[in-house]
Amino acid sequence: MMTPQHETFSRRLVNWARVKSPWITVFNSGACNACDIEIIACLMPRFDIERFGILVKASPRHADILIVTGHVTLKQASRLRRVWEQIPEPKYVIAMGACGASAGAFHGLYHMMERVEDVVPVDVYAAGCPPRPDEIMNAVITCLNLVKEDLAHGGKDWRQNRADNVMEQENERQDERT
Amino acid sequence: MTPSLTLEFVKETMMEYGTAEQARQNRIRIATTPDKVLRAIQHVLGTLGCDRLVTISTVDNGTTFELIYHFIGPHRTVVSVATEVPHEDPWVTSMSGVLPPAGIYERQIHDLFGIVFRGHPGLKKIILNEDWPPNEFPLRKDWKKNPDTYYGGIKEGWSRHA
Repeated sequence: MMTPQHETFSRRLVNWARVKSPWITVFNSGACNACDIEIIACLMPRFDIERFGILVKASPRHADILIVTGHVTLKQASRLRRVWEQIPEPKYVIAMGACGASAGAFHGLYHMMERVEDVVPVDVYAAGCPPRPDEIMNAVITCLNLVKEDLAHGGKDWRQNRADNVMEQENERQDERT
Repeated sequence: MTPSLTLEFVKETMMEYGTAEQARQNRIRIATTPDKVLRAIQHVLGTLGCDRLVTISTVDNGTTFELIYHFIGPHRTVVSVATEVPHEDPWVTSMSGVLPPAGIYERQIHDLFGIVFRGHPGLKKIILNEDWPPNEFPLRKDWKKNPDTYYGGIKEGWSRHA
């Protein structure tokens, strides 16, 4: 892992701390509370995610990772966007449960945004209805691997650039074929 | 313990407001008309000794809306006052003056069914989002989501480079 020249010691220290102890804020965007109960189960002694340094914070301004539980109702959409805007960069979003991916059992109702992806960019999806605490922990650790990868490449933009490059290469290949 | 309400007593006292029937044990249903409903409710709260409103439920029957006010009291008998309002120009007198918490149920019914409660002090949106279009009542049977209408939420998508 190469460290870019412009990275100072304090920057590296912050990056190290960021991966060692991610702070999480949970936002309920209209879920049925089952996901929230599973998150509480994560905090309780049986799973106890604090032993990994994962802290659940009340304020989005203190958080690195936002966990969105549930489908997004029309009323919560602007609130979710506002919460997401308050998180300092670099920010990561985990959409939790079947609702976060596709509105789940509530698909097609009159008051739905349908997906978290429509409102804020999602990095990791946690599957399940609701996801078990170990699946939540798995999602957070997957997210931390993403954070590590991003820090090694100097930011979140490289993933978007990579996606663009892949698309460009695909298009070039298509052009060659035709 | 207060004895349960009997159908005979309810029939006797509510004769001028409508017919009463016993749906099952401890449930009495009184069918009345929209112009008499407020006085019937005052009567239920007074003579029949009901002291709390459980809920107001609404059914869309296609041509009419059926409003059912459920009351309960220390006698542990649920008294339901039912009335029907027409689908065109649906309105009924508000009972928020008699029992102020009922105003919240009425605001919700106004949101979802479009029934107007005359005399309500603030018939504003309570359950739908603030930018929900007017004259769209999602729980009506003939309502369908129009793909061209903007129903609120977030208009523009997120941008990674914003």
